[in-house]
Amino acid sequence: MYVRAEPTTDLNKNTEWFTYPGVWSTYILIVFFSWLIVLSLLGTSPGTAWTIVHLSHFFVTYHFFHWKKGTPFADDQGIYNGLTWWEQIDNGNQLTRNRKFLTVVPLVLYLIALHTTDYQLPVLFLNTVAVLVLVIAKFPNMHKVRIFGINADH
Amino acid sequence: MITIPYLTALTTYFSYGLLFAFGQFRDFFRKIFDWWQASNLQGYAPICLGLEDFYIRRLYLRIQDCFGRPIASAPDAWFDVVERYSNDYNKTLKRTEKKSRCLNLGSYNYLGFAAADEYCTPRVIDSLNRFSASTCSTRVDGGTTTLHKELEECVANFVGKPSAVVFGMGYVTNSAILPVVIGKGGLIISDSLNHNSIVNGARGSGATIRVFQHNTPSHLEKVLREQIAEGQPRTHRPWKKIIVVVEGIYSMEGELCKLPEIVAICKKYKAYVYLDEAHSIGAVGKTGRGVCELLGVDTADVDIMMGTFTKSFGSCGGYIAGSNELIQYLKYTCPAHLYATSISPPAAQQIISSIKVILGEDGSSRGAQKLARIRENSNFLRSELQKMGFEVLGDNDSPVMPIMLYNPAKIPAFSRECLKQNVAVVTVAFPATPLLLARARICISASHTKEDLLKALEVISQVGDLVGIKYFPAEPKKQLQPGKETIKLE
Repeated sequence: MYVRAEPTTDLNKNTEWFTYPGVWSTYILIVFFSWLIVLSLLGTSPGTAWTIVHLSHFFVTYHFFHWKKGTPFADDQGIYNGLTWWEQIDNGNQLTRNRKFLTVVPLVLYLIALHTTDYQLPVLFLNTVAVLVLVIAKFPNMHKVRIFGINADH
Repeated sequence: MITIPYLTALTTYFSYGLLFAFGQFRDFFRKIFDWWQASNLQGYAPICLGLEDFYIRRLYLRIQDCFGRPIASAPDAWFDVVERYSNDYNKTLKRTEKKSRCLNLGSYNYLGFAAADEYCTPRVIDSLNRFSASTCSTRVDGGTTTLHKELEECVANFVGKPSAVVFGMGYVTNSAILPVVIGKGGLIISDSLNHNSIVNGARGSGATIRVFQHNTPSHLEKVLREQIAEGQPRTHRPWKKIIVVVEGIYSMEGELCKLPEIVAICKKYKAYVYLDEAHSIGAVGKTGRGVCELLGVDTADVDIMMGTFTKSFGSCGGYIAGSNELIQYLKYTCPAHLYATSISPPAAQQIISSIKVILGEDGSSRGAQKLARIRENSNFLRSELQKMGFEVLGDNDSPVMPIMLYNPAKIPAFSRECLKQNVAVVTVAFPATPLLLARARICISASHTKEDLLKALEVISQVGDLVGIKYFPAEPKKQLQPGKETIKLE
């Protein structure tokens, strides 16, 4: 019922909220409830609903984790202005528990989307592209890499 | 230690997510709208880069009326709060002429010196007539009056160190001293919940900064051992200097620092200790001398003691107390001493007089009474609030009392409902506190009477029921003894 909220040593206010208890459950519950909402509002088959959830999850998480740089407030004086949210979490340490969790979630969504659409061809292709882009963006070797200078600093 | 109900954590994250999503949608439509309309600032770079002002524009401004309320009297136990209204959903607030008399639970008025005092105020007015409101000069040019000399001796005596130096502003004391005492090649180990002034001073110094888990001496030892073994980054040479920065009472938690253990560890590894007593000087300890007295730490073991005069002394400014050599060095090098205007003479006189009252040197026992009263008040209020089921942080004897709110919607609800019942509280949210842990911070004063505290309890209990922040089960009221409940049938 009650959990302990221990203060962390992360000074970056943009990412330290991710170390408190309850974040993973909230993430999974938001994804699940958005599937229910898509299913009830659009009335499609469950498989199409999972594909829609997977693809919108791809767009949202790519935009906020790997495209937007910096922090939404100014009192850290811009020291994280060149780093995306993914590069900021856990102080830049790779392969921590949070990062492993965030890499597994799109993969699990991918498998659910494929299974419920019976591996049909057009959606298979879209889902695969989405998961490949997301997982490659989360590799440790891609830390601070800007391909062809896209999204690099001025 | 903060214990949060699991469901509350989930709903808090969800609420912030919803607020964030709404903010992003509004920004997106605003961008389309602005691209449609021509702007007369073609070719200029934008003032804010990217998302920098997102939090201010989309989250803070929505509840702006809960912060920064103007007051129209001295911040005593009761004060006048100016009423404001807004015609555009809190984007701009306009003041009215009306004022409401509210119970002050937000000012740092620990010993009640914030309003007129029978010993201090005549002497302050006297010094205003004699020295005028400002020295109009820096300390080294023409700004050192006899008052400043007296103040520095007084502070050094009070704190228990050989000498002290006084600056005009408390924030500046931290952010201008740290770059002077340590530089590149040094190591600063600071508590994870240290105040922004320490963080800025540490960043400005150029030293390497490492953070240890809040108030955990074992983690401090682990960090110290690791860093001493590794040495400076890249070159691995030994560190030139190691300073450990802690605070006496943490202003957002109300907790006391575990000073004896931390001082023992620093002695073992030969690191310097920098103690920031902004909230604890004058408010805790038998004679008001701060956490060192309360926890039984010898002041000779703490190398640099820093404090501010804003909280317990009813004035403004900050001081650094240390050995004679340290203070001499600071007077030659610190920019706040060399280039900033010295502390205003009436403010200095207020500090001297209030220290005299605290120590009983004015001939009365008001100082001791005040210290006893603030201790009783804090312990009473804290235990009563905890019995009602609120989650209140802070140690016993600490006058800072945060009540946990958690959900972002409860912050404006609590603040506005309390104001309607004429109780003014300060609510603190992200980014001053972690995202999940928004709170309402109550500061007890020695000038709060028992009736004030009972009124505060009643209002907070009502508002707490309305807003839903009694996260713990309330303790049942004492049962009436059997035999006294007889009903007379006449």
